[in-house]
Amino acid sequence: MDVSSLIGIGDAEDLETPEGIKRLCQRINEREKQVNDNLQTLLSRKLNLETKIDSCLIKYQQLYKASICEDSKKLTSIISHTSDLAEKVSAKVRNLDTARMRATEVQKRVHDLIDLQLCSQGVMTAIKDEDYEIGARHVKRYLSMDRNILEKTADDVSSMTSVNQAVDTLEKAAKEMREIVKVKLDEAIKKNDLASVERFFKIFPQLGMYDEGIAKFTSYVCTKLSSIAEKELRQSMEIAKAEKRTQVAYADTFTNLLENVLRIIETNQPILENYYRYGHLLKMVKILQLECDDQTRRLIQEFNKNRLINRKVNQINDYIKSQSTQSSSTLGHLRKASGSMDKLNSKDLDTLIAELTIMHSRAELYVKFIRRRVSNDIEKCFIAGDMTEEEKKTALDSMESVIKKSQLSNQMQEILSTYLLFERYFMEESVIKAIGFDSHETGQLYSSMVDDVFFIVRKCIRRSIGTQSVDGVCAVINNGGACIEQELINAFRNALKSGYHSGYIDLAQAYSAFQSTIQQGKIQTNDSEMARTKFTVTLNNADKSTEYIETLFQNISEEIKVSFPNIDSHKKEMIESCLGGLKSVGDSLKTVVESGMQQLRSSAIKPRINPWIDQFQSSNHMLTDDELSVYEAGETFIQFLIVQLDGLLNSFKKVLSEKNYDILVLMLATDVTARFERAIKKCAFDRNGGLVLDKEVRSLGTFLTGATSWTVRDKMARLTQIAIILNLEKISELSEYYDTRNQEGPFTAWRLTPNEIRNILKLRTDFKIEDIKKLQL
Amino acid sequence: MEDYKFLFKVVLIGNSGVGKTCLVRRFTQGVFPKGQGATIGVDFMIKTLEVENSAGQREAVKLQIWDTAGQERFRSITQSYYRSAHALILVYDLSCQPTFDALNDWIREIQEYANPKVLKILVGNKTDRDDREIPVRVGEEFAKAHDMYFLETSSKQGENVEKLFYEIAAELIEQARQKGGLSRNHHNSSVTNLGMKNNISSFQSNCCSGGVGTNNNSSN
Repeated sequence: MDVSSLIGIGDAEDLETPEGIKRLCQRINEREKQVNDNLQTLLSRKLNLETKIDSCLIKYQQLYKASICEDSKKLTSIISHTSDLAEKVSAKVRNLDTARMRATEVQKRVHDLIDLQLCSQGVMTAIKDEDYEIGARHVKRYLSMDRNILEKTADDVSSMTSVNQAVDTLEKAAKEMREIVKVKLDEAIKKNDLASVERFFKIFPQLGMYDEGIAKFTSYVCTKLSSIAEKELRQSMEIAKAEKRTQVAYADTFTNLLENVLRIIETNQPILENYYRYGHLLKMVKILQLECDDQTRRLIQEFNKNRLINRKVNQINDYIKSQSTQSSSTLGHLRKASGSMDKLNSKDLDTLIAELTIMHSRAELYVKFIRRRVSNDIEKCFIAGDMTEEEKKTALDSMESVIKKSQLSNQMQEILSTYLLFERYFMEESVIKAIGFDSHETGQLYSSMVDDVFFIVRKCIRRSIGTQSVDGVCAVINNGGACIEQELINAFRNALKSGYHSGYIDLAQAYSAFQSTIQQGKIQTNDSEMARTKFTVTLNNADKSTEYIETLFQNISEEIKVSFPNIDSHKKEMIESCLGGLKSVGDSLKTVVESGMQQLRSSAIKPRINPWIDQFQSSNHMLTDDELSVYEAGETFIQFLIVQLDGLLNSFKKVLSEKNYDILVLMLATDVTARFERAIKKCAFDRNGGLVLDKEVRSLGTFLTGATSWTVRDKMARLTQIAIILNLEKISELSEYYDTRNQEGPFTAWRLTPNEIRNILKLRTDFKIEDIKKLQL
Repeated sequence: MEDYKFLFKVVLIGNSGVGKTCLVRRFTQGVFPKGQGATIGVDFMIKTLEVENSAGQREAVKLQIWDTAGQERFRSITQSYYRSAHALILVYDLSCQPTFDALNDWIREIQEYANPKVLKILVGNKTDRDDREIPVRVGEEFAKAHDMYFLETSSKQGENVEKLFYEIAAELIEQARQKGGLSRNHHNSSVTNLGMKNNISSFQSNCCSGGVGTNNNSSN
């Protein structure tokens, strides 16, 4: 820096003279010397500084080592000291604890010894005084003592013999007590002395005889149950008659039977919990269930015998078998034709089905009650800590197996099976009857069968909900769907199979006849008219059925949700799947409607409209201005066409359901526009002709739009666009309507291909072919 | 909801104890449940598979498998499921002649309740057993006579179980695709084995290794 500044200061003149250079050189030399001196002093200081730093470092390290070592050593000693102390303290605490434990043990032993003495003295007197409660309490106290410790105590204590004696006495007493109590309970049972039975029943657990007590008591209760049930079964018919409930006599008896069993549980559970504690209910239920099974079996036997169940089942099975061999040749809904069979009246089954439903639902309720009570008992036992997780699981499994393997479950399955067979038969026969007795009142869109059939199916499914069985509900839903599909839809198909006979061979004749019927304002009732009515009514019925299926699906879903509030998701999915199957019957119905409408189209629309539209070809579309005004003054083509179409549609509007009529209008629009397009392509137009056509297409569009609530604009699109093209003043105007880049108009998407546009333009005789060819499309 | 393109209902039927539930469990959960109690009424499981279609694309298919009780007293429940089934798997125990003898009754049930176009598969279960009573040929012939596919399986060892359901899914997709066309044709063709010829050879190698199977084959 200094040097550079020196050079900078040095004058330019100076450097041109040797003196100047010399002076500069001198100045530089001086400066160099100065710098060197400075450096020297600095360097000399450096050494001094380094030594100072070194000494500092050394001092620092010494200091550091000394203090840390000292501190850590101190800390270690403190810690070890503390730990020593802690160990000593904890050892003392431990000693204290063992001492205390021993003290309590000793205390307990002393108590045990005292009690042992007391018990051994007391028990004998108690037995002598027949005070079994006190005796049992003594035995219970004795049983609660640890036998090993007792023996050890005997070894320790000097008066060994007295302890051993007491133990012996108590052992003997316990044995004696057990015998006595057993005998006494048996006696009480024999004497049917309920108070004594309960008294001894309560003593059993104190003597450690849990299972025996429950077994003896429950079998006593069972004998009582059995005699009640037998009496009730014998009198079931008489009671029912008195109460005017003969139709559900067995359901009532069955209800009583199950209620009696449940009442036993209800009343005895508190005693059981009090004297036996939790976890013993299953033992009681196991024994009770055997009795319940036995009674159920007897009752069902009686029921089957008196209600002639087996005979009816066989009758139905035979009937179904005979039908299935026939049905290969004949159609489903014609099967009532075979009258030779000894056939069950479905109405007679109605009450029996109701009885079966009640019986099954009662059994379901019973099982639910048992399951809830027993699992609660097991849960309480688990919470009280008297049961491990493992034991709880085995107990619950054992409960399920008791339920599953019970005769009652078996009988329930039989009942459900019978119910389902009867229900299916009832449903099918009733549906067949409803279809057979179908009645239609003139002027009505629908006939009776749809209402009737859906009423029956709905009734059956609702009744199945009453069984409280998910399997049962699912099966009836499945059967309901099958029944609608097989019987009702087949009936529809058969009615539509013969087709819609317009009844006319010659179209001109058809036209005049049609006109006359319209003029008379009344449809003549002859055979072909009846056939036509049958056809349209069937179409309407099918349409209504699609709605009914949807409603049925929704109603039943709701009802199931209400009736089975707590079912698990698996069962729920099962039901949903079956309901989905029912709903899908709607698809079959829709195809029926569709195929029927197509038939109507090919026999009643197409042949009628074609000649009307073809007239377009016979009129002139090259008009001078004079001709144009003449044409417009007279009856134009479109006026004629609209009158005809209106007449045709009106004749159907009265006989078709709203939805079907809308479909018809759409079909008519499709056919009319297609045919019109064809007719146009066969004609030649000039400017005036195009003008007229455009007007005519517009009025057709207005007419069709007015005929239905659905949109027909789409159907008119092509025709409208053709009219636009033919109504152009000049070819160049096309660009106002048609965008060549994306082939779209400013208003709507173009339905015509460039080629089609060219061909249509060619229909205008005043457009030059070369101009059309030149068009960039 | 998961994404799937097809939903098919498959119903298993056949005598009690032939192993319907085990077949379903093996397929849906990959386990062979020991000490399986008799099924009560019906049960159902769902499994979604990916199946390669004829165009080589993989498609998700949801199979709803209905496992029915074989015991007589549940017949009126199980019968109600036939109509809506897309495929019926009729199972017998190849080590138990009575279960094979009962097939005719089951065929009658199918004729009575099922859709005539339903896909039918005959399954001889328990190939793991060495006390075979029904030779492969006999099962095959029965299937052929009743216009059914045929397969032998072992739920215990998992043999052919996946194949059974995957082939059913593939066949049902094919049928769905041909719907509108005449899918009946396919049924009446002479192909009664799932997965064509290589399948038959695999059966035979299986039963030869079984020892008893060799006798059965030579007796035919």
